[in-house]
Amino acid sequence: MSTPVLETQGITMRFGGLVAVNNFSLQLGATDLVGIIGPNGAGKTTIFNMITGIYTPTEGRVFLDGKDITELRPAHITQSGICRTFQNIRLFKDLSVLDNIRLAGHFRVDYGVMSSIFRTKQYHVEEARLVQEADKLLDIFGLKSKKDHLAKNLPYGEQRRLEIARALATKPKVLLLDEPAAGMNPKETADLTKLIRWVRDEFQIAILLIEHDMSLVMNVCEHIHCVDYGQLIASGGPKDIQSNPKVIEAYLGADAVAETK
Amino acid sequence: MDYLIYLTIQSGIFIILAVSLNLINGICGQFSLGHAGFWAVGAYVGAAYSVFAPLPVPDFVNLFIGCGLGFTAAAIAGLAIGVPCLRLRGDYLAIATLGFGEIIRIIIMNMDAVGGPRGFTGIPAWSNFFWVYLWVIITIVFVVNLLRGTHGRAIISIREDEIAAESMGIYTFKYKVMAFAVGAGFAGVAGVLFAHTTQFIHPNSFNFMWSVIILLMIILGGLGSVTGAVVGAVILSILPELLRFFGETVSEWRMVIYSMLLICLMLMRPSGIFGKHELDIKKLLGMKKGDA
Ligand SMILES: Nc1ncnc2c1ncn2[C@@H]1O[C@H](COP(=O)(O)OP(=O)(O)O)[C@@H](O)[C@H]1O
Ligand SMILES: [Mg+2]
Repeated sequence: MSTPVLETQGITMRFGGLVAVNNFSLQLGATDLVGIIGPNGAGKTTIFNMITGIYTPTEGRVFLDGKDITELRPAHITQSGICRTFQNIRLFKDLSVLDNIRLAGHFRVDYGVMSSIFRTKQYHVEEARLVQEADKLLDIFGLKSKKDHLAKNLPYGEQRRLEIARALATKPKVLLLDEPAAGMNPKETADLTKLIRWVRDEFQIAILLIEHDMSLVMNVCEHIHCVDYGQLIASGGPKDIQSNPKVIEAYLGADAVAETK
Repeated sequence: MDYLIYLTIQSGIFIILAVSLNLINGICGQFSLGHAGFWAVGAYVGAAYSVFAPLPVPDFVNLFIGCGLGFTAAAIAGLAIGVPCLRLRGDYLAIATLGFGEIIRIIIMNMDAVGGPRGFTGIPAWSNFFWVYLWVIITIVFVVNLLRGTHGRAIISIREDEIAAESMGIYTFKYKVMAFAVGAGFAGVAGVLFAHTTQFIHPNSFNFMWSVIILLMIILGGLGSVTGAVVGAVILSILPELLRFFGETVSEWRMVIYSMLLICLMLMRPSGIFGKHELDIKKLLGMKKGDA
C-alpha cells in the first residue's frame, strides 16, 4: 500500500479520569471508504475531534499525507485537506444556503479587506468565482433552487445534505461524516448511501464515516472499525464485522452472543 | 435652530458608535461592554492633538488627522484588550471589557496633562454637521461593504457557530480581533468628533452608563442589523430630548423609561425592530409596485 492519506498512530484522549479513546490507530488510502461503528459513548466522535484538531490527543499522532498535523489548529487542518460534518448538524443557521457554501471557500479567496471596502476588480472576480463554484456544488446536491433560503428553514434531510456539500466545498482530500443518516427515514438513508458512494467516485477522495445505522455502513463501507469503551475491538470487511462475536456483544450484550451460539 | 443642529450632530455621533458596536456585538457576536472606553480614547487623543500639537494646515485637515489618530489609538486599545479577552466567552468577555472601560476612565482621571478630574477644556470647535455625517457615511459604507465580501461573511459565521466556522478553515480568532479593533477604531473617531463638537470633555462623559446606552441602541434596532443600529441610535438620541418637554421629573426618570421600553421590546419583538434584517430599498419599491 502507498502512503496512506490519513493515518492516526495510537491516539488517546483522556478527560480527567475517563479514557474516551484509547490507543486508536487507523490508515486510510486515497480513495478508501471506511466506517467506524460502535455503541453510544464509545468514543467515535472524539476520534473525529482529535483528527480535526478540536481536541489535541493526550497521546499519539495524526498524519495527513505523511505530514504530522497533530498540533495544528482546526482551521489549519481544514485548509490542509480534512473536512467534516457534525453529529448534531452545525450549519450557519441564519445564513442562506449559498452563504453556507461560500464560507467553505473563504480560505481560498484572494482579496483583502480593503478590496471589499473599495469594490476592486479583484473583489468582483473572486466573488463571481465563489458563486460559480457554489452553484455547481448546489446543483449536484439538488439544492440550487433553494440557494437563497436560510439554512434553518430547510427540511432535516436537506440540512444534512447541505452540510456534506459545505464540507466538500473546502475541497478536502479526506471527508469525515459523523452519523450522516441520523434522524433520516429509510428512503432518505437509501439515497444517502448512493450519494456517499457517488461523492467518493466523483471527487476521488477518502471518506471516513461514523454510523449507527448498520445497513448504511454495511452497504457503503469497504472496511469497518468497531470501537467500544474507547477501545478498537474489531476491524475488517462488512461480512467479518457482522459475524464477529465481539461486535455482536458490544451492540446487543453478552446474552445475545450466547443465544446465537 | 442651533439646538436642532446640535441634536442632529449628536445623533450622528451616536450612529457611528452604534454601528461600530454592532460590528462587534451584533455581527461578530462578541459581547463587549467597553465601547465608551474606546470612545474616550479617541476623544482624548484627538483633543490632545488639536490642543497641543496641531499642524499648520487648515482646520478641517487637522480634524481629519485627529480622526485618523483617534481611530488608530482606539484600534490599538482594541487590540490590547481584544487579544487576551477574545479567548474568553460570553459573560467573561463582557466583564473584562466592562473593566477595561472603567480602567481607561480612571487612567484619564489621573492624567493631569489632559485636565484629569477637571476635564479637558479649550478644544477647538472644528467639527460640524458636515464632517460628522461624512464620517457617518464612511462608517456605514465600510461596514456594509465589509459584510458583502468574504471577510465580512467570515465575521458573521463566528456569530452563527464558531466551531463550524473554524472547521470550515476560517481563522476565527483573527476575525474576532479584526472586528473588535475596527469597531473600537470607529468609536475612536466618534470620540474625536464629539470632543470637537462639545469643546469640553470629562472622564465621566464616558462612564459605564454610556456603554450600556450604546448597547441599548443596537438591541432596540436589532442586533446584527446596520439599519437597526442607525434607527436605534437616532431614537435613543432624540428620546431624552423629547422627555425634557414633559418637565424635570420625567427627564430624571429617563433610565426607568429606557428599561420599560426595553421590557416592552423584549415582550413584543425580542429580536429588535429590524431583527437581523436590513432596510432593502429595492424590496420596498418592489412592494410598492405590487400594491399599485
Ligand atoms: N469534552 C468532553 N469532556 C468530557 N467528556 C467527554 C467530552 N467529549 C466526550 N466525552 C466523553 O467521551 C466519551 C465518548 O464520547 P463520544 O466520542 O461523543 O461518543 P460517540 O460519538 O461514540 O457516541 C463519552 O463518555 C463522553 O461523555
Ligand atoms: Mg458521536
